Amino acid sequence: MSIEEGAKFVAAAYAVILAVLVLYYFMSARRVNTLKRDVELLEQEVQRRPAGAGEAGGE
Amino acid sequence: MKQLVSAPALFVEAGICLVVGLLLAFLYAPVDASSMGFSQKIFFYHVPIAETALVAFGVAFVAAIAYLRTQDLKWDRLGLVCVRLGLLFSLLVMVTGMIWGKAAWGVWWAWEPRLTTFLLVCFLYIAYLVLRSVVEEEQRRATYAAVFAIIAFIDVPMTFFATRFLPEGLHPVVITTSGTGMEGSMLVSFLVSMLGMTLLLVAFIRRDLTVEDLKDRVADLKNTIGG
Repeated sequence: MSIEEGAKFVAAAYAVILAVLVLYYFMSARRVNTLKRDVELLEQEVQRRPAGAGEAGGE
Repeated sequence: MKQLVSAPALFVEAGICLVVGLLLAFLYAPVDASSMGFSQKIFFYHVPIAETALVAFGVAFVAAIAYLRTQDLKWDRLGLVCVRLGLLFSLLVMVTGMIWGKAAWGVWWAWEPRLTTFLLVCFLYIAYLVLRSVVEEEQRRATYAAVFAIIAFIDVPMTFFATRFLPEGLHPVVITTSGTGMEGSMLVSFLVSMLGMTLLLVAFIRRDLTVEDLKDRVADLKNTIGG
């Protein structure tokens, strides 16, 4: 097999590997950021709720 | 030291090793003298990815035993994360193996021992994920998954030794008890890539465990608000 022929297969293999690994890296990073934001929002909601309930009870 | 093993640092270290490994494979290691020729360059990522996939399944096996001993759900989470990552790396092994097979043997697939047992490993761990998705109760799901992970792992050493005990297959054996069969520059390139893939696996495990922890935290907070 010539180097040119072999290079096509090698390029295809490395392109698949790099594409999948890079995609997974960014997907998992995005997932962490989304979940962190969800946790923050939910924690704010939990903190807000008793205060809101207190105000409602006082009215 | 703690900073060196944090998830972001591990990604950087893995990236450096993988880039250096790739450069060494193409610029330092010679073109293989056998009939495979230039297509042998696929080896420098294909084999480390395969070894890393098997390591991930090995960690899932250890985590399954640890869960059955302790009933601690952190081990179940580790097992799940490792199986998912093992499957991701297995997918890459299969695809790059098929590309290499086409280049070296002229066929995309051959029913020979290494390929067949590796395909079986993939099916077994897909079944593990299916099993998890059909059991709702958490402790029971973790117990079933742990037992299944232990049974599924039986095929992993079979895959590793398939080419050694059944040498009539097409798949070459590179690393044997008598040596690697690689010359120095190839071995260095291979080892650097191997280190890079292992670090990448550890970094992904850490990040995916963070995802699982955050998912639990979100579920807890939703329950708090709902209750």
